[in-house]
Amino acid sequence: MASPITWILLLPLLGALFNGLLGWMLKRRVVETVACASVAGSSVAACIAFAGMGNGTDVVLYDWLSAGGFSAPFTLRLDAISATMAVMVTGVSFIIHLYSVGYMREDEGFARYFALLNLFVAAMLLLVLAGNLPLMFVGWEGVGFCSFGLIGFWYSDPANATAGRKAFIVTRIGDVAFGVALIWLFYLTGTTDIAAINAAAPALPAATATYLGLLLMFGAAGKSAQLPLTVWLPDAMAGPTPVSALIHAATMVTAGVYLLMRMFPVISVSSDALAVITTVGAVTAFYAATSALGQRDIKRVLAYSTISQIGYMVMAVGAGALSAALFHLVVHAFFKALLFMAAGCIIQALHEEHDIFNMGGLMTRMPTVFWCFLAGALALAAAPGTGGFFSKDEVLAATLGHGGALYTALWALGEVTAFVTAFYIFRVVALVFMGGMKKESAGLPARLPGTMVWSLVPLAVLAIAGGIINLPATWGGSGYLSGLLASQGLAPHAEAGHGWAVQAVSAVVCASGIGAAYYMNLINPALRERLAARYADLNDFLFRAWGLDALYYRLFVTPFGNIADLLWHRVDEGAINRALDGIGDGLAWTGSMMRLSVTGRASTYIMATIVGAAAIVLYFAVNGGV
Amino acid sequence: MGIRQGILLALVFVPVLAAIPVLLVPSGRAARLIALIITAFELALSLVPFAVFMQPRPDGWLVRLDLSWIPAFGINFSLGLDGISLLMAALTAFLFMLSVLVSWDAIRDKSPMFHFMLLVMETCVMGVFLSTDLFLFYLFWEVMLVPMFFLIGVWGHGRKVYSAVKFFVYTFTGSLFMLLAIIGLYVIHGSQAGEYTFALEALKSTHVEPATGLWLFAAFFIGFAVKVPVFPIHSWLPDAHTDAPTAGSVILAGLLLKTGAYGLIRFGFPLFPEASAAYIPVILAVGIIGVYYAAWIAYAQEDMKRLVAYSSISHLGFVVLGIAAWNEVSLAGSVLQMVNHGITTGALFIMVGMLDERMHTRDISAFGGLWSKAPGLSAFFLLFIVSSLGLPGLNNFAGELLILVGLFKEYPYLAAAAFAGVVFTLIYLLRLAQKVLFGPPATDAEFHDLSPREAAILVPLAILVVVIGLYPRILIGPIEGPIKALVSPVAAVKTAGATPQAATAPAQTAAADRGGTP
Repeated sequence: MASPITWILLLPLLGALFNGLLGWMLKRRVVETVACASVAGSSVAACIAFAGMGNGTDVVLYDWLSAGGFSAPFTLRLDAISATMAVMVTGVSFIIHLYSVGYMREDEGFARYFALLNLFVAAMLLLVLAGNLPLMFVGWEGVGFCSFGLIGFWYSDPANATAGRKAFIVTRIGDVAFGVALIWLFYLTGTTDIAAINAAAPALPAATATYLGLLLMFGAAGKSAQLPLTVWLPDAMAGPTPVSALIHAATMVTAGVYLLMRMFPVISVSSDALAVITTVGAVTAFYAATSALGQRDIKRVLAYSTISQIGYMVMAVGAGALSAALFHLVVHAFFKALLFMAAGCIIQALHEEHDIFNMGGLMTRMPTVFWCFLAGALALAAAPGTGGFFSKDEVLAATLGHGGALYTALWALGEVTAFVTAFYIFRVVALVFMGGMKKESAGLPARLPGTMVWSLVPLAVLAIAGGIINLPATWGGSGYLSGLLASQGLAPHAEAGHGWAVQAVSAVVCASGIGAAYYMNLINPALRERLAARYADLNDFLFRAWGLDALYYRLFVTPFGNIADLLWHRVDEGAINRALDGIGDGLAWTGSMMRLSVTGRASTYIMATIVGAAAIVLYFAVNGGV
Repeated sequence: MGIRQGILLALVFVPVLAAIPVLLVPSGRAARLIALIITAFELALSLVPFAVFMQPRPDGWLVRLDLSWIPAFGINFSLGLDGISLLMAALTAFLFMLSVLVSWDAIRDKSPMFHFMLLVMETCVMGVFLSTDLFLFYLFWEVMLVPMFFLIGVWGHGRKVYSAVKFFVYTFTGSLFMLLAIIGLYVIHGSQAGEYTFALEALKSTHVEPATGLWLFAAFFIGFAVKVPVFPIHSWLPDAHTDAPTAGSVILAGLLLKTGAYGLIRFGFPLFPEASAAYIPVILAVGIIGVYYAAWIAYAQEDMKRLVAYSSISHLGFVVLGIAAWNEVSLAGSVLQMVNHGITTGALFIMVGMLDERMHTRDISAFGGLWSKAPGLSAFFLLFIVSSLGLPGLNNFAGELLILVGLFKEYPYLAAAAFAGVVFTLIYLLRLAQKVLFGPPATDAEFHDLSPREAAILVPLAILVVVIGLYPRILIGPIEGPIKALVSPVAAVKTAGATPQAATAPAQTAAADRGGTP
């Protein structure tokens, strides 16, 4: 119990228990304090553990689930990847908890909110720290449940509850693939321990590894909202905005990437699996970035942006650049949480206005929020020098450096996506902060509590300066994160082709995206109107995110209900029940029983049975006993 | 007879002995009080073995009681307690006590008679789980139907008489097949060994001609399968559950269904290792169909009790799959899941009963937005729903995962297909949660949150849900030994017969590629 690793997990869990069981009778301030303090403590423990992890540490708490040869102890493992994740998760979570204190200041369900938020952090940390796959699965589905509860937090509106349900179901479809891979790996390697599986992985046949890679990718696609399971994340924006920042931007949605990183030694046995993964990542990144272009709701823009950015991380795993994936994951957590929290400030200040076309001119009215949002936007657009620039560049450089026609094409797609990214986020900046206020009726922005606004600042700093954790040699850095991973043998020390040439391309792409957005939305809005009118169909197509959701509805959701009705009425009540009742009626004695029952004298038959049974027993007892 | 045998005997007979005074007391209040005391005593009694004698005898049993009863026919009064029957006995005692508590206010009509039936029922269920003589087992098995018939037919609602008769006819017909098979086996063994006996251990050694074995096992299987119930002979269950009083539903789902699965584990497979192996494809098929079919139908239900009833069929499909795979992991999963299902589904039926008592309807559409009116009740309801959908960290997940792991070893594709069934489970249960707990309130009617009595019923269930989820070893530990003993003889037959399905499995192929089996 003394180990800080245990405390990382235990503190938020205790916070959740405390607030969940007692919160209803406590004052708001107590609940808030407990919630924030537990995550703060967890964050401190994570930093201590990080500093003292050495070459990786295991903590075995107890024998959790085992039977026969199958065994899954409650083991926590701290190594470079999980420690980095733990520090990021607890740190970002703490800031979001603080922000929530302000955001939820008027909500009566604060106890439920903070209990779920703490429980979420605990589940996420279990996912990250789990030493074996079944235990990881506990955290994996645990975050899904908390997400369900928090998306549907304002449950009185059925739409919110439905969004929560959708998120749970779609992600669980992916979970099944993960679960099957987990069991299969157990039989292939004889263990559930992640490190032991990875140690045995090189001996796996390539064909098997391909299937395993695909299963793991599909599992990751559920949690990380990659194609074809993207559809739940945009709807998940129905939850409170800090939830979007915490779960649907910074932490849970990166779980899929984390899984792929953890199981990389297995996946990497198959180059086919890697190619598929890179393709899924690159195509999802492009798909979601274009979809973000068609959105009017500021949170939905950011949601598609998240899907798109996770696409880059998946791409990095496929290209074998684990440190790039982790690097982008961490930096993205900073700037995307920042963007969401800033969006939350805007939405509350404008009295629940979500439509970016109804906003404008907020630069002067909300300067702190503006500067912070700008920092996030620059990082997302990968402006040179920001954290996003280095991390995204490493991903693209690794993809290009992998070689081969496919990877080169995917690199090109990644650069196109980068352009679209810069364009859509600066479209938001231009529409929301520049120009004049579109809807004067909304009145002056409301005053926001300091906890909300000032929570943005540390994340803004991290978004801009986050690159230092893995600064490339060209900028005088030494690639700290890559070095750390390499030192523990978790990833090859990839000195990616991170030269000035690639950086120059990225800088040009970013600048032209920002410039185009600025031109179309501020200098020449008439052009935007003309294009929008001319390509209304395309706009609609992007707004509906390529029509994927509607397609799934037609293919799966509607038929599911129809088949359920058919099975119930036609098959179960109809065919099976009637056939069996028919057989029963066919037998004379049953028929007479049915008649008896109609006359209400079934009990006479039963009594006869009892008497008969008693008689038989008595007969045996008397005759046999002698 | 030592103290251990005394406990065994008391477990079976205390309830039925106490049932007589219950019938004689004039007031319902006294009857329910006596019933509560007796069932609480039973619970305490059933927990004693956990605390004091977990050291098995050389033959694997924790306690045995063998009394000669009708020697002329080789009938003995034989009871045996091992880890598996211990879990079942404890579950029985626990759920019967809850049944008394949930009926506290709900049953006002003929209360002494009601509690009489409950206590007789408890004796029968205990007897089924503890008998090791086939005649004795059959006696308890058959008499068990009678109190259940009355519980549904007298204290039920809706088309209660139809449902009671349907329950009786289905299960009675199934048991008749089993009776024939028991007699058949008795005769075959007697003519071979020269000693006529109903003792389970002796009958296991019977040499049965393969063709005869197929018939006998089929007859046993039908008898057990009706109770489980297995698709397509399940259609008594939705009606019986829907029309039974809450206590009846709890006992039906929590215990009667388990007697079927328990029968397969204790008698069906061990008595006929060869024949059961031959039927495995059929059993797997009805198992997996049950998982999906019932889950799908559950989605369409408007009556909450019927929904939970179909969910039972679906969940028991997993148990059947685990039994059919018959290895240490899958069987541990199945037994664990029998307990878990008893806890979780019992809890769900209890909660539907509580909703029914408040609103006088079980129609899903009559509810909505309950969370704002009764947060305590809603939180418990959600907990049991997520337990039922197999959320990891709670009880059901542990059992389901072990079943799937064990199943994968023998039939990887089938295990993958069964795993995907959890998505169906999620879909119908989230629909239930959403329609009842979330959304705008359906009515302005007043709605009380939990009463202290109701909380006292739900808290222990909730604690079990969490504790078993976090530390399933508490239940797996006692059953590992008995399961090992059950697995080896049947597994030996199976490997000799070679199962073709396994040969084409990817896991096996891959393992073979690596030049070794996992």
